[in-house]
Amino acid sequence: MGIRVCILSLILTFALTTMSGARPVSYTGGSTMMYFSDNLKESVYYHYSPSYKYSLGLEWLKDKVQNENYAYLRYTHLMNRKNTKNSQRNLYFQSGISSKGLNKNFIGMHGDWETRRVFAGFGLKHVQADVKDYTEEYIQLGLAPYLGDYGDLHTWILIKTKRNSLTNEWNSYPVLKLFKGNFMVELGYDENDEWDAHLMYRF
Amino acid sequence: MKKIIISLLLLPSLALAGELEHEMHHNHDEHENHLHEMVDGQEFQLDKEKFNKFVSGLSNAQIAVLSVQGMVCDFCARGIEKTFKKDVGYLNIDVDLTHGKVLIAYDMSVLIDKSDVEKKILSNGQNLVDMQILSIP
Repeated sequence: MGIRVCILSLILTFALTTMSGARPVSYTGGSTMMYFSDNLKESVYYHYSPSYKYSLGLEWLKDKVQNENYAYLRYTHLMNRKNTKNSQRNLYFQSGISSKGLNKNFIGMHGDWETRRVFAGFGLKHVQADVKDYTEEYIQLGLAPYLGDYGDLHTWILIKTKRNSLTNEWNSYPVLKLFKGNFMVELGYDENDEWDAHLMYRF
Repeated sequence: MKKIIISLLLLPSLALAGELEHEMHHNHDEHENHLHEMVDGQEFQLDKEKFNKFVSGLSNAQIAVLSVQGMVCDFCARGIEKTFKKDVGYLNIDVDLTHGKVLIAYDMSVLIDKSDVEKKILSNGQNLVDMQILSIP
């Protein structure tokens, strides 16, 4: 319990001091298409950003917990961003309402801080579901093994630690993230949950 | 759980070591590889090789050299390229992630408005902190 409190304190310290946010919002007028798969869901998500401060989108998903298919209307808001010469940190609020009704929804926070060499991110998400509500949490820390130039293939090696309240176990596993132009591929392998896959294209 | 905590502690240490090594290397090579330009008495840095490649083939043009904060990844700079490519008189664009610079070439007929540039950078979620104009005869 003490260790858990310690880790949560670390996350909150990240969020409330210098480190936070992520990139679920694009540049003004930008669209993003994503594919995501892990032990809880498989989904395709499209969002549009009328401003760099928020995005609206639709996510079609196969819910592996409830074993059903439905869609989310999603809203993500950039709550805080700090740009410096060598870093950027972000803190986002995210939410979604299901096509199955208002009582099936989620809210969450998502944060990251990165330089060209180092990445730290976290996510907290509470899902209200028909059968049983649950919470997802993760921390991600990573390093870029080399600094690529603009247009090059960019690589990140990360460690992701995640937990959901259904299994109530923390799992840690390596993740490889690759960027090239407007494409991003993220792959993680956990011996318990098998593959995490995240593909993204911005346009 | 111990593995998680050790990983949490170890990663930033490795990252910091990598950053320090990079900085030392960066400082050592700085005067050889970086172009020090003077505009109106102000000095700023550009990657020499990158700059030479960018200006090759350009004539009767002007280059806006933008210093941008928060441009820490290739992915984050994509929107900047997309936005400025729509400008009238646009010729070329390049991004120098190492120095946080964006180079945009326009033909000489264009009046480059700093406040307009600032808005466009902000619409991508970054901040413009300086802009210099270089003329290419």
